[in-house]
Amino acid sequence: MESMLKVEKLNVNYGAIHAVRDVSLSINKGEIVTLIGANGAGKSSVIRAIMGLVKAKADEMTYTSPRDNNTVNILGRPAEEHVKLGIALSPEGRRILPQLTVEENLALGAYTRNDAQGIAEDVEYVYSLFPRLKERHRQKGSTLSGGEQQMLAVGRALMSRPDLLMLDEPSLGLAPILVDEVFGIIREINSQGRTILLVEQNAFAALKVAHKAYVLEVGAVGLSGTGAELLNNPKVRAAYLGG
Amino acid sequence: MHRVRNLILTIIAVVLFAFFLDKAPDILNGYWQRILNLIAINAILALSLNLIYGITGMFSLGHAGFMAIGAYVSALLVLTPAQKNAMWILEDIYPWLLNVNAPFVVSLVIAGVIAAFFGLLVALPVLRLGGDYLGIATLGFAEIIRILITNTARLTNGSLGLKGIPAHTTLFMSWGCLGVVLLCMVCMLRSNFGGVLRAVRDDEVAARMMGINTFKVKVIAFTLGCFGGGLGGALMGNLITTIDPRMFMITQTYNILMIIVVGGLGSVTGSLIGSVLVTTMLEWLRIVENPITIGSINIPGIPGMRMVIFSLLLIIVIIFRREGIMGMREFSWDIFFPQAKAKPKAEPHESDTVLEVRDVMLKFGGLTAIDTLSFDIKHGQIMGLIGPNGAGKTSAFNVISGFYKPTSGSIKFLGRSIGGLSPDEVCKAGMSRTFQNIRLFGHETVLQNVMTGARIRQGYHWWMSLLPFVFTDVLREDAAVRAQALDLLGQLGLAEFAEEQASSLPYGAQRRLEIARALATRPKFLLLDEPAAGMNPQESEELLQFIRRLRDEFDLTILLIEHDMKVVMNVCDYIHVLDQGVHIAQGTPDEIKANPRVIEAYLGKGAA
Amino acid sequence: MNLNIFIQHFINALSLGSLYGLVAVGYTMVYGILRLINFAHGDIFMLGAYFVYFATIVYKLPWAVGVVTAIILTTICGLLVDRIAYKPLREAPRISALISAIGVSFFIENFAVVVFTGMPRPVVQPPILMKPIELSGGVRLIPLGILVPVVSFVLVGALLWLLYRTKPGLAMRAISFDIEATRMMGVSVNKIIALAFGLGSALAAVAGIMWALRYPRVEPFMGMTPGIKAFIAAVFGGIGSVPGAMIGGLILGFVEIMSVAFFPTLSGYKDAFAFLLLIMILLFRPTGLLGEKLEDKI
Repeated sequence: MESMLKVEKLNVNYGAIHAVRDVSLSINKGEIVTLIGANGAGKSSVIRAIMGLVKAKADEMTYTSPRDNNTVNILGRPAEEHVKLGIALSPEGRRILPQLTVEENLALGAYTRNDAQGIAEDVEYVYSLFPRLKERHRQKGSTLSGGEQQMLAVGRALMSRPDLLMLDEPSLGLAPILVDEVFGIIREINSQGRTILLVEQNAFAALKVAHKAYVLEVGAVGLSGTGAELLNNPKVRAAYLGG
Repeated sequence: MHRVRNLILTIIAVVLFAFFLDKAPDILNGYWQRILNLIAINAILALSLNLIYGITGMFSLGHAGFMAIGAYVSALLVLTPAQKNAMWILEDIYPWLLNVNAPFVVSLVIAGVIAAFFGLLVALPVLRLGGDYLGIATLGFAEIIRILITNTARLTNGSLGLKGIPAHTTLFMSWGCLGVVLLCMVCMLRSNFGGVLRAVRDDEVAARMMGINTFKVKVIAFTLGCFGGGLGGALMGNLITTIDPRMFMITQTYNILMIIVVGGLGSVTGSLIGSVLVTTMLEWLRIVENPITIGSINIPGIPGMRMVIFSLLLIIVIIFRREGIMGMREFSWDIFFPQAKAKPKAEPHESDTVLEVRDVMLKFGGLTAIDTLSFDIKHGQIMGLIGPNGAGKTSAFNVISGFYKPTSGSIKFLGRSIGGLSPDEVCKAGMSRTFQNIRLFGHETVLQNVMTGARIRQGYHWWMSLLPFVFTDVLREDAAVRAQALDLLGQLGLAEFAEEQASSLPYGAQRRLEIARALATRPKFLLLDEPAAGMNPQESEELLQFIRRLRDEFDLTILLIEHDMKVVMNVCDYIHVLDQGVHIAQGTPDEIKANPRVIEAYLGKGAA
Repeated sequence: MNLNIFIQHFINALSLGSLYGLVAVGYTMVYGILRLINFAHGDIFMLGAYFVYFATIVYKLPWAVGVVTAIILTTICGLLVDRIAYKPLREAPRISALISAIGVSFFIENFAVVVFTGMPRPVVQPPILMKPIELSGGVRLIPLGILVPVVSFVLVGALLWLLYRTKPGLAMRAISFDIEATRMMGVSVNKIIALAFGLGSALAAVAGIMWALRYPRVEPFMGMTPGIKAFIAAVFGGIGSVPGAMIGGLILGFVEIMSVAFFPTLSGYKDAFAFLLLIMILLFRPTGLLGEKLEDKI
């Protein structure tokens, strides 16, 4: 299988805090890879470092675009350039723009693109994934419910037509019924050919959809394996509830 | 030992300088004497603005206005009735004002007091604003004061200004005033009250949790700073001998601001050095505005060039050396005496319901952060509050410690309702807390952080700290608090760091320091917000022991938010679980571990 | 007060207010994005006035050419200020940029004194703008008095169109809420910030030109007081809001002109009104008329 993202010995420091220690991971084209672990284990820091939002050190951090099979170093690049390469992030806490309407949030997601026709199609595609957003397309982001905001964040990330979609805690704060819905949609997006890196607190749901998973414990990778392997691993439970 | 040495050295320096001032009129020409005077006056102005801005952290652009008040008050008091009669041409002077008169020194004090009074008037409404708005509002007040002076001709002679003010400002006067201001300011800044001022600057939220009424502290600092502004203005008027409203434009404030930025915001020494440099340079740069003849070449003067060079220097300083010359450091004689770093000695030595939370609900707009939370904590318990991200744990802390008002429900602490109290009042009632994202007074020493926590237990008033040799309570109480703080640092294994800057500590030590600071308020009840966040397994293990020790040694009751389940399960007697603002479970650690709802909340649906 | 005089005052207030509004828009855009009071903005306004003075009166260019040249030169100056004095400080504490802004303001004012001398220079008004038009009922209007508000409203309308109907405008609005989230969408933040400075400077240039025509003279410190007042107008309208800045400017213009019109004894206090308005709005509605509330995080 073709490797898409390769990270070797990633380290992130915030002042005196060593948030990520020597994390290595690789993602192949077409996979759903999940990064799970308890709160404060450094999951978000990993994903933010990949996106170029925090200063990080690594032996290697390369991205191979399926568009032209070029491998480029993405360490130290500003986040806005990642989008042009085909990487998109739906960040933790949704970070939708509260004073912009649903439509405008989606338009912002397509900022790097200039094909009006394609953008219009993708807006319809996002609305087909999340019909609720269509109903509210003229409303401001701040008036949406938590679940709708999450949908908007995912939809916005999709608007750049990414090859690698990174989702940071997409189920956070959602009612159980919505969690199922979100994971269903993640599967659907993946089945349409997009590679996904998923950071999740909801380990069971994430492991069920993942082809491959990494468990982070206080900044370092503790375990890795396929989703099914880890689902039955007692250590996973221990990582969450402290044994 | 070295304190005595330093005192002697200071006295020698002062005596030598006084001797120099005495001889100055013989050695120096008028030009240099004037510069020397201006240095002292600018230093007073810079120190007072630095107190407001650099030390207490309030961005004020109103200094020129307070200078104007001081200059006019003093001038009106020292001018003779005959002079006043001759000067008020357009309108008559108020009859009562004509005969008001006072000696120069008295006029200086009155000038300062009236400027301070106006400062207080400004502070009460405006200091509720923060940051940039405060800057603009104070700038507005300064302009209003100038406009008032221009338009109340019967009082101030309007735009004509005042002329012929006796040149009372001698070298001894200006430097004497500076000496007094400096002495009071250094004493205050060295006292624990000074630490409180800097704490308000570094982190207002944390300062409130240390029981400090930060609004009152800011009003005090602002008013004192305005006194300095008035005093400086009065000296300036009596040096230049003419004043008019145009002298006190915003440019005047910028000049003073430049001095403290160049010297270093928050450093007294920096303000002094800045005054010398900026004053001398401003005078010296007049050269570029005057025509010069070198041999047969005539270089015409370029008006405005002086300020061009000057403003460029300011921009360069702020871009390339933001912290100015001194940063926040201060001069000390110790730099001349190389010595091993003095290590303060500090040897390690030495049931009822505390909190009752009933049906507390917290809403932000339409968002429910906490949905009817109720629980009790008994004396000596260590209770855990857990739940996934966004569950409302920190919101619960903020409600209990007074940062948020609950939308409904009641909170009783030691039998007393604390539902609507502010954080400083809650702290005084015997509660203290730490913060999720450590909020230390980062620029202060470790010791000062802890001493700030102890300020609420001190009896002396802030004004006593200006004259600690008169009000010896200040020295005695500060010494006592200092000893207690060192003791506390010793117990928490932080003694070796006492003189280090708090922000330079390793992460784990910063966490402990935050706890030490909270303990310095002598709380009965302590809230710890994620104490193990960012710690490695070994550090968490130590933290476990540490939290138990805290409870036993300080007779505490503890409420703990934590994600590290190992810490929670091992240290807590009882645990409450929140999920999306809803209180979903409670019980002993074993019960919680086996609770299906908890497992589901943490691991996800289908886990249990 | 008869109708004729009232209409004169009304037109006066409208043009003064719309000038404040135009300058205020520049403050509000920069503050909305960077949380920086661009103290140099009033001086950019002054530069606009000087450029048009030199272009048309000294170099005798036709008015239209002179105005365009002045706007372009002023915009370049605005961009340079951002590039040199603010951009190196993006990651620094906010207060550093603020002091840098004060330094830049100081620099431009005094540089103007050096280059242009401190003497006020008279501006020759194009006669076509000054020839009074007689309306029915004996009301006389000067074309300039109509031109100023019309141009201002058209420009602010164009700006609003840009903000609400174009991609860079969308990015600009997004940045003011969340710079990082906007970067994640592939927006080059620095370019958008430069765009905000450029647009603000261009509007300030137009305001400076019209100001110079209205009070027919230019001098190096002419930007100081209008600059501070325009900032106040921006705060009054709700900092960060473009329509708010315009409304704030208009209110300020009307308060200044009308209070003096109805109470001539207050004329000496005219400049104080802006500050009184400011202090009142800050005390009773700190977010301004149209501003959004910003929450502190603990």
